[in-house]
Parts: sequence; structure tokens; C-alpha cells
Amino acid sequence: MGPLIKLIVLNVVVYAILKFVVPNVPGSAPLPASLVFLYMMLTTSGFVIFATVSAESKEAFWGPIQRFLTGENIGGLQALRYGVLILFPLLVGWQTYNSTAVSDAPPSENRTIHPAPPGEYTGLSNPISKTPDAIQQGKGFYAAFCSPCHGGNFDGKGPAARGFNPPPANFSDPTTIAMLQESYLFWRIKKGGVGLPIEGMPWKSAMPRWEVELPDEWIWKIIMGEYDGAHQSPRTWE
Amino acid sequence: MRHQGGWIQRLLGSGSVHGGTLLGLVMAAGLLSLPALAFGADAVPPAATEYRDIPYVGSRNMIWIVAQLHLLLAGFVLGVPIFAWLCEVVAWKTGEKRYDKLAKEFTKLLTSAYATTALFGGILLFLLISFYPKLMNYLTDIFFPSFIVYCLLFLVETATLYLYWYGWDAMQDGGKKTFHIFLGFMLNFFAFFIMIVPNSWATFQASPVVLAEGSDLARAWAATWNPTWWPVNIHRIIANVVLGGYICGAYAGIRYLSARNTEERDHYDWMGYVGNFIGVFGLLSLPFAGYWLMREIYQYNQQMGITLMGGFLSWLFILQAMLIGVLFLGSNYYFWLGITYRIPGSEMKYRKPMLAMLIALLLCLGVWMTPHSLVASMEEARKMGGSHHPLLGVFGVMSAKMTVANLMILVTFMSFIMYWRAGKQETAGWAKVAKAIMGGILALSAIAVIVLGVWGYFVPALIRINYFSTTQVLVVLGVMLTITPLTALLLRSAKTTTEMVWGKMPARAGYALVLNAVMVILLMTLMGYARSSSRVHWHVYGVLRDTSPYAYSPALGSAAAIMALNTFFFCMIVAFIFWVATMSDKAKAPSASTKSELPHGMPALAGASSALDEPKVPKF
Amino acid sequence: MSEVVQLQLIGLSVIGIGILILLFIRATFARVIGFVWIVLGLFTLTALSVPQMASLPPVEEKFDIATVKTPTDMATIGQKIFFSKGQCALCHTIGPSESARCPDLKGIGAKLSREFLFESLTQPQAYIYLDYRHEGIAKEYPARMPYINKNPIGLSRNEILSVIAFLQQMSGEPISVTVAELAAPGQEAPAAPVKASQSGPVAVAQAH
Repeated sequence: MGPLIKLIVLNVVVYAILKFVVPNVPGSAPLPASLVFLYMMLTTSGFVIFATVSAESKEAFWGPIQRFLTGENIGGLQALRYGVLILFPLLVGWQTYNSTAVSDAPPSENRTIHPAPPGEYTGLSNPISKTPDAIQQGKGFYAAFCSPCHGGNFDGKGPAARGFNPPPANFSDPTTIAMLQESYLFWRIKKGGVGLPIEGMPWKSAMPRWEVELPDEWIWKIIMGEYDGAHQSPRTWE
Repeated sequence: MRHQGGWIQRLLGSGSVHGGTLLGLVMAAGLLSLPALAFGADAVPPAATEYRDIPYVGSRNMIWIVAQLHLLLAGFVLGVPIFAWLCEVVAWKTGEKRYDKLAKEFTKLLTSAYATTALFGGILLFLLISFYPKLMNYLTDIFFPSFIVYCLLFLVETATLYLYWYGWDAMQDGGKKTFHIFLGFMLNFFAFFIMIVPNSWATFQASPVVLAEGSDLARAWAATWNPTWWPVNIHRIIANVVLGGYICGAYAGIRYLSARNTEERDHYDWMGYVGNFIGVFGLLSLPFAGYWLMREIYQYNQQMGITLMGGFLSWLFILQAMLIGVLFLGSNYYFWLGITYRIPGSEMKYRKPMLAMLIALLLCLGVWMTPHSLVASMEEARKMGGSHHPLLGVFGVMSAKMTVANLMILVTFMSFIMYWRAGKQETAGWAKVAKAIMGGILALSAIAVIVLGVWGYFVPALIRINYFSTTQVLVVLGVMLTITPLTALLLRSAKTTTEMVWGKMPARAGYALVLNAVMVILLMTLMGYARSSSRVHWHVYGVLRDTSPYAYSPALGSAAAIMALNTFFFCMIVAFIFWVATMSDKAKAPSASTKSELPHGMPALAGASSALDEPKVPKF
Repeated sequence: MSEVVQLQLIGLSVIGIGILILLFIRATFARVIGFVWIVLGLFTLTALSVPQMASLPPVEEKFDIATVKTPTDMATIGQKIFFSKGQCALCHTIGPSESARCPDLKGIGAKLSREFLFESLTQPQAYIYLDYRHEGIAKEYPARMPYINKNPIGLSRNEILSVIAFLQQMSGEPISVTVAELAAPGQEAPAAPVKASQSGPVAVAQAH
């Protein structure tokens, strides 16, 4: 059963790396089970592909498994074979039961992080001209209204951030505001969490609805200050 | 706002409405439910009907299935002539009769496949008129001049097809053959227009333009030239070639599995090789066309772009990555099986490069399939500090995906080159230099693609999209365009050390071919859903609202069930078409042996395939 | 049992049948079908394991004159019309774009008087002002401006005024359209052109 053992060892190694090495890299965190499962599936399918690419290696890999399952010349392993043949369907059944049974664990997160904005916000452009003054003003407004959660360093680590799940967005991450147009931010700031469409799960964002407090002009300035402060630039088409 | 409670319930609890629908769907299975039309029609008052419905299946699902089948069949019917014509040209140029035979074998399918496609087109049209009168009125008002053009095109196409098919044996020699090739070209030429005219209707729905006053013709013309029309045309024509190639492969795979004698095994093994080859050839350029289409959509409307890429359809692209990944793996696997089984004694020599390529492919696939926001339980999300992983989250964005897609294309291309060169010994004096240059080009381009991908994180999105991604694509295309002729040149003087042996492939090669075809069909159904649901609750985006009860877009899971059903129906229809078309062959099989045309060894492979892969096809 | 679970069970049974076919049936075609079933079942199960999100249509909003209290309310409604019923955004952008089919409307409310805007919408061919930006050579655009107050777009006078209010707001201008100008429902006359020539020419001359 050489190749089969190799496969098991390989999977154990990959699992160990994903479970114990990757999370301990500085700035990393534990991986969710779904991702670990995905990578192990890829590993396994890669191994199977490579093991079956030639006749000899396929025989070395599949032959023993087939002989074991069909019960050809396996002598003392016969009892084990019956055990596997009975246990495997039970395992599938148990797995199915488990995944469909009612459980008290909260359902997994499936919130859309960037839901599509309503049509009337998609084509807006910032009416304020980009002057150092306006940016400075925007940063001032940011410091007053936004920094408690999104942080003075635009990193989403403000003093109040810890209380929120999901946490406030980190603007210095190149995968957040740098991917979006200014009009998108305008919409999110103006309408806040309650303005999110259904797929964005309106109750899963504590963002206030700033339109009731701030005039549009301030919001546009805040957006400019945000991009400037986080050293990002908005997505544009010019 | 007042409906929101109910929506939420439907969304999360997934009320039984849709589940019941689906169950009903499985049982009623397609056309059986057609008589149900009559019930739907009575229930509605006659005045100003906007929508009609049928019980159990639902009008939207019915349209979905029929439209998808029509589109798949159309893709098949348009892809096969391209494939057949290419083979015929190869046969004409190189004098290899078996390519001509292959072309004819596939053209034979066309008459019945064409009729089936038209049949489904007709069903679709009647269903649309019955279920969606409002939309059809609107579209007819704009497009009726092109409806007429479409009908005319059909007449010409049908006439050409009959001439092409029934004249095959009569026009075999000299000038007649040239005329026949010309007919094949015209067949594809008209077919192309048959594709792009309906494309304009569909793309107008996704990206409409404002129509000013003017003659009917002027309005139809303006509506036809909408922003996504050409991106879709290009994307579809390539995808049709891919579909045609892989279906040819799958057919060959099945026939190979059930082959009874060596001749059949040889022939279908070779046919599987040609099908897979043409499929891969189209597949390599498909992501570029898709990227262009996506870019045009995003630019046309940010809302639609975000719906697709970051909004409720974002998970669809993870599924797409999985399917494309399996397709790439499957195609490479078939190449590798070809090397180890068709070229005796080469296994140990190519084991290491194969392992390296496999690992590269898997790493790329791992990156491609890593979503930006992960599926995580509350506990796990808390540990990660949100639904983005702080480290692996960077794999979730376009820059990374674009990079790995390009790398996967490069690896697949290398796989193909390796297969092409296997079993041959270069004799030219400059072979060493040439090989070093090719290796250098490949290594440099891979590095360039990776550097651009990483750098892409640190520049504004616009620069990344307009310059970096484009450069990546150009680099990969450049590699293909330099290495292919170089290899062809190198192998012209090469001596064959090991003859290729046909008919020795294991059964799993046949299944790999079937798997690839299923993946392509699934991808087409998946992206059909994406195109349709990216319009969200609009018939014509931003202009004509869908006010029917089916204005919502179903979640991926239930959509996937319908996609799987569509894929299966399509496979069965294609199997039926093949079965009908080959029935007569089986009857005369014992008398007419095809042995004389069959390959013994593979001396012509390099020449034959280079004639195929140099893209000197003048059309389109 | 929720729909997801039902579909999961269907998917699992399809895979199960496929496996049984592969185990017990020898005929090639049946085996291939079994294989295809396994593949399709796996695909469906994968699609069921990712987050399930449907997209639901938002509630349709009606232009209700009773809710309009301030010019800003008008601009808000104008914004919605601009990007939906009015179809303005199908060609026009606010802010530059390389794919623009029509002139960019950024700052238009400051450059043109409201009468001129009204005329441009209701009599688009009356006074074509090719080079309204006064820079470079006049640009030709592929699309032609339709009559906004006629079919197929057919905005009412109230709606057109709201759009003008939005354009002025987007340009950082005080909104010069007042709520009092809106006609009450029922007595609303079709949008009649206001003669731009009578109300003084264009404001753009001063802008430069």
C-alpha cells in the first residue's frame, strides 16, 4: 500500500502546514475549515492525477485498493474489508445526517461584502475639486466622525472598533476602497448599514446613516480625505 | 420596504415554494409540461397581459431550460462547422485523408443538429411570446428589421449547409474541392451572422442604449451596436470552437470505450486527440475574451459590475474557477496520458516535468479558488478578525486571479509543446540554442506575469486594468506566438525516435474526455445564469423592469440544480443526434473497412497539428 | 426540510445512483451516463455548499408630489430618475469616461441655465452646442439626444424639473427649481418647452 500511505502522509503534512504553520506567520490568522478542506481536496486530486498518469503507477496506487475492496487474496484482512464495506455507507449517512440536522451552532457567515449599489448612486462623481484644502478638511471631518471606528491610521482599528462584528473596514488594505469607485463610498457613507440591500444583510453593519447628520459636500470631502490618508486611489475609468 | 420580512424569510428559510418547483421540475422533466401551457393561458384576463405562467414548473424555469438548451445546441451547431471546416482545410493542404473523413463525419451531424436547434429556437420563441408578451412587444418594436434579416440568414445558411453536406463526395477533386472549401467558409460566414444577430438582442437587454427618433432601421441598428455586443460575439465564437472541440473529444471518448476492434480504437483515439487539441487551443484564448467582456460590463455600469464581481454573484466566480480548473487539469491529464501511453518508454523521462506542471497548476488553482470573503463559522470569523483572512485574503482579488489564470494558460501551453516534441530527436545544429531560448522565454514570461500581478496591488485600479492586466495577456499571447512557430521549425528537421502508437490509451482517458465536455457545458450554463441574473430585476437593464413574480434571481444552489439538469438534457440530445447520424454507418460497417485511411504510427502529427495551430484562419 | 437540504439529498442520491451504475453495469453508454451523473451531482453539491444568496427586486418607488418638501427632495427624486426612468445615464456620465457616448455632465448645472437645460431635454435639436466645454476641437458623439418629454422615455414636466434640480445639486449650485413649480397630480400639463431665448442665453459664457 505504498502510494496510499504516501497520499495519507502528504495530506497530513498539508494539514499540519495549514493548521500550525500558516496561522503562525506574522500577520496571519487561523484558516477557516472550508479553506483547509479546499486545499486538501486539491492536494488529493493532484496526487490521484499524478498516480494514475501511467500504467505502472496506477497499478501501484489503485491495485492494492481494488484488491482489498474486491477481497482478492487478502487473507487475514477479510474481516477489515467487511468492516470498511459496512462502515463506509454508514459514515456517508452519518455525515449527511450531521449536515442536515438542526444544530445550535450559528450559521456560517455569508454576507456579501460589496453588494451592488442602487442604480442612482453608480454614476456619481465627486463634485468637489481635489484641492489640498478640501482634502485637509475631509481629513478633519474623518477624524471627527469616522476615526473612532475606522481608526486614525485608516486601518480599521479605532478605539471603538473592537466592539463590532464584522469589524470596521480597513482602508489601508488594497483590497477594500482601492477596488471601489468614489460613488460607492458615497452611497455606503450616506445610507449606512440600514441602506444595504438584502444580500448585504442590512443588520450586519453598524455603519450609521450619515445622510441625517452630514451634508453631501462633507461626505465627498471625507471620501477624498480617506483615500489620501490611506494612500489609496479610487477606481476610475479615465 | 413592507415586503422585506417576507423576502428575508424566503431568502434564509428558503420556503418550500422553490423547492416544490424544483421537485416538480425534475418530475415533469422538460417537454412533458408543455401541455400545461393551456392551464396557464385560461387563468389570465385577456386585456394587456404582461406575463403568463404555468403551474409547477413556472414560466421562468421553462424559458430558462429551453433557452439554455437552444443556446447550447446553437453553440454546438456553430462550433462544429468551424471544427469541420478546419479539418477539411488541413486535409486539403496536407493531403491527409483521415482529416477529410473526420470533417465529413461531423458535417453529417449538422443536418439533424441544425434541425434540433431550430426546433428549440421555435419552442423558445413560442414560449417567450406566451409567457413574456410585454418584453417581446418591446423587443419586436426595436428589433423587427433584424428579425427579418435573421430569417433571411436562415434561408441562406440552410441552403449552404445542404450544398456543403450533399455535395461532399461530388466535390472531391481539384477545382471542385476548392469550391467546396469555399462553401464551408460561406457556411461559417453565415453562421457567424446567425450568431451575432441574436447576440444583439440579448446584449441589448444587458446593456441598452438610448434610442432617438429615426427610421426603424436606424433604431435597430443603433440598438444593435450596444457596448457589450462585440465582446459577447468574440467570447461566444471562441467558446463555440471550444465546445465543438470538446464534444468531438467526448464522442470519440465514448466510441473509444466501446470500440470492438483495433481499427476503431485507433481511429477514435486519434479523433479524441484532435478534439481535445482544438478544445485546448480555443480554451487558451477564452479567458482573455472573457476578461474583455467583464471589463466592458464594469465600464458600462458599475452596478452590474459589482453585482457580478463583488455582489450576490461573486460566489459564482468561485464555482467558475473550479470548473475551469477541472477543465485545465482534465485537458492536461489527457495530454500526459497521451505522452505515457502513446509514446512507449517516455514515461520516466517526462515524469518530473509533469509533476512540476501539475504542482504549478494546483497552486494556481488554489489561489484562483480562494475567495475574498470566506465561508467561516462565527468562531472562525472572530479568530480571523472578519470574513477576510489577513494573509490569504490577498488571493481573493482580481490581480491575483488574473495572474494565476495567465500562468495556468502558460502551463497548459507548455504541456502541449511537450506532447508535441515527445518522441522526437532534434537534428538541427541550432536546436540547443533554440531550446535554451524557448526555456528562457517561458521562464521570463512566467516571472513577468507574476511580477505584474504582485505589483498590481500597489497601483490604482485603472493602471492595473488598463496596463498591467493587458500586458500580462500580451506576454502570454506573445509566448504562444513565438514558441509555436519556433517549435514547428525545430521539428521540421527532427527525426522521430519513437513512433506514436494509437489505440493504447486506458479507459480513464475516455472518461477524461467526457469530463472535459461536461465541464465546458456546465460552464456555459453557469455563465448563462450569470449573464441573465446580472440584469437583476430588469428585462432590459435600467429601462424595462421585470414586474413578474419571477423578478428575483434564485440562489446558486437551486440554480446549479437547473444547470445540472440542462447539462444532462443537452448531453442526451447530443448523444441522440450522434446516434441517429451514425446509425447508417453501423449498418454498412462490415463491408466497408476504413483500414486504409487509418494512421499507423504518427509521422504526420507535427505537420498536421502545426497547420492547425498556426492561427492563419482568415475568418472573423 | 429546507430547500437546500432537499437539493443536497437529491444531489447525493444522483451521485449514489451513478456509483451503483459504475459498480454493476457493464454497458459503456450506461457507465458514461453514471459518470456524468456523479460529476453533475458533485457540481450541485459544491454549489450548495457556498453561501446561498438570492437577489430580490427592490420596491418600486413612485414620484409622489406630497412627499416633496424641499428642493433637496426634488434633487433626490431627480437623481433616481436620471439613473433609471429617464435613461440619462445610458449615455451621459457625470465625470469623465473613456466610453462616453455623450457629453460628460459634470458641472453642467453650473454651466447652463435651467431654461437652457429644459430646452435641451425637450427640444434636443433646437440649439446644438457641440463644444460646450470650450476646449480642443468640437467632439462628435455616437448617440443622438432623444426627446425626453416624448415616448419612449416620456418624462413629465415634474420629473424633468427634478432632474434639473439634481443636475444643479451635482454641480454644487444652489437649486433654482422650487417645489411650488411642480404641478399637482392630475392637472399636470405635458412638458411644454420654455423658450430659452427669452430667458437670456447660456450661463456658460461667464464660466470661462
